[in-house]
Amino acid sequence: MEEIVRAENLKKTFTLSRKQQKIEKTGQTHKVAVNGLSFSAYRGQIYGLLGPNGAGKTTTLRVLSTLIKPDSGDAFVCGHSVTKEPQKVRDCIGFMTSELKLEGFFTPDFLFDFFGSMHGVEKEKLAARKKELFSRFGIDRFAQVKVEDLSTGMKQKISLVVSIVHDPDVVIFDEPTNGLDVLTAKVVTDFLTELKEMGKSVILSTHIFSLVEKLCDRVGIVIDGGMVRDGTLEEVCEGRTLEEKFFEVYRAVKGEEI
Amino acid sequence: MKLLALMKKEFLRFFRDPKLIFTMIFPGVLIYAIYSILGGVMWDKEKTYDFRAAAVSMPPAFEELLQTAANESEGVTLTFEKTEEKDAAKKKVESGELTALIVFPANFEEEIKTPHVGESAPMVEIYYRSADEESGAFYNFASAVLNAFESAQTNLFDINAGEGYDLSGEGSIFASVMGSVLPFIVVALVFSSCMSVTLESVAGEKERGTLATILVTSVKRTHVALGKVLPLACVALIGAFSSFLGIALSMPKLVGVSVGAFAGSYGFLSYFMLLLLIFSIVPLIVTMISAVSAYSKSVKEATAYTSVIMVFVMVISLVSSFLEGVGGWVCVIPILNAVISMQGVLAMNFAVWQALVSAGLNIVYTGALVLLIAKMLSSEKIMFGK
Repeated sequence: MEEIVRAENLKKTFTLSRKQQKIEKTGQTHKVAVNGLSFSAYRGQIYGLLGPNGAGKTTTLRVLSTLIKPDSGDAFVCGHSVTKEPQKVRDCIGFMTSELKLEGFFTPDFLFDFFGSMHGVEKEKLAARKKELFSRFGIDRFAQVKVEDLSTGMKQKISLVVSIVHDPDVVIFDEPTNGLDVLTAKVVTDFLTELKEMGKSVILSTHIFSLVEKLCDRVGIVIDGGMVRDGTLEEVCEGRTLEEKFFEVYRAVKGEEI
Repeated sequence: MKLLALMKKEFLRFFRDPKLIFTMIFPGVLIYAIYSILGGVMWDKEKTYDFRAAAVSMPPAFEELLQTAANESEGVTLTFEKTEEKDAAKKKVESGELTALIVFPANFEEEIKTPHVGESAPMVEIYYRSADEESGAFYNFASAVLNAFESAQTNLFDINAGEGYDLSGEGSIFASVMGSVLPFIVVALVFSSCMSVTLESVAGEKERGTLATILVTSVKRTHVALGKVLPLACVALIGAFSSFLGIALSMPKLVGVSVGAFAGSYGFLSYFMLLLLIFSIVPLIVTMISAVSAYSKSVKEATAYTSVIMVFVMVISLVSSFLEGVGGWVCVIPILNAVISMQGVLAMNFAVWQALVSAGLNIVYTGALVLLIAKMLSSEKIMFGK
């Protein structure tokens, strides 16, 4: 198995503003979002980061996609360090999150070409890829309609297509099915499986057990910024359902009844 | 290639939106229309006045004096209604039936034969309504004639009696007016033009999360910064140029000079320098607002910061009108350097080196700000800080 993503002792702390301190009801000025997190993902597999809200999943994915830098530790994507070679990392990843939006004024057709240029994709290759992806996701009929006039599901599909315009080796998805209707969610999960079959590697974050069980080869349980279990689905579950195992681990770590 | 694609996107965003084009071009058209109408009202219309004034105890010599002055003024006719009923006449003036009331003291002619030094002099009263244009015009007319008469009585000496002493040509009087007013207006228009396109494009994109989508691609941050600043500067230039044309074409009408005389006042070098200076401050202002927008969390916050900068820039360009004989050092102060140089160009009194250095330095400052924006785009605290 070829290792394609490796996170080594990632640590990330955020300064809390007074407003945030109030919201979180804490007097602390700093919050450790990710605390010494390590894991490896392999080519042709889907890796799922599972954890409750605020566990540090999104922060980890943002570090991997070079949007933010870790305070300490490093991560390597396709052999490139996210801290030392962020540009090379960006070239081999596709990142999709609800944080990243598309300009509603433009059409899917224009945006696909635009982001293709941003990744330096050649014109012919770009045209062929556009044809393939647009028909795969049913975008072709809406290619010339402004994004702002499209449905939420269609917007999500366009964001997905745009994030993989450059045919990246690693696709990173933050909560891939969040806010999607059942039909669009199925299109997305089917596509993730398809990506895996094409030899691509996918890293996703979620708090939905069934999604991990259905899609992921490996899973990492993240609680309070730390990786508390990491391995293949079978290794982590140890013969129980993922949900049962997760709550067992959660109770062990937090010492709380749920 | 990536830079070109970024620039193309910005241009398309603007040129495919008729509303944005309209907001850019419209101020120029509006300025032209308003100034032209104002100028037309001020200069083209020959005013005619038909003064009907009541007069109390007016000596015949003064009636003749005022009548002669009225006859000599173009478009003025004057008739007096002699009366001894001061209060009744006042009421008629108040109601608008009469233009004004002029009241002479009894024995006025006798009293003014000897000068009244150190004691109160006899007083001519003119009752009028300042709210009424014709009544106000009568007051100005009559007081001017009587004042002239009074100073002729005690004539010790005159200064510049008659015309032909002001040796400035029409062009240079016009130039000094333009020199003090136009740079301020130009900077104000350039700033508002830059503001309208930049805030939306930079702070708006950051707020909506579309800028982050670009940042996750492998494009260089300097290219993202340049891909914003260059097209925005071009678009802002269109707006600024439209406003500039609006002013340039209507200003002659406003100050009562023909467009030909205005155009003829300046040579090719002046026009070239003027455009060069405007071209140097537009990208500078765009990068200033872009930097502020990139720093701000929302369009609202960026607008607040930019308003402060706008006030600062406006004060600088306004104060510069009163700065006399500043040294060449002013070249190093961004924007002020261009304003002072523009004033020089418009007042037909400028040093070419100063204008060139000012424009050059503004472009250098723009470059430095582009690098700063690129740095800000790389900063997670600025771009993704909550």
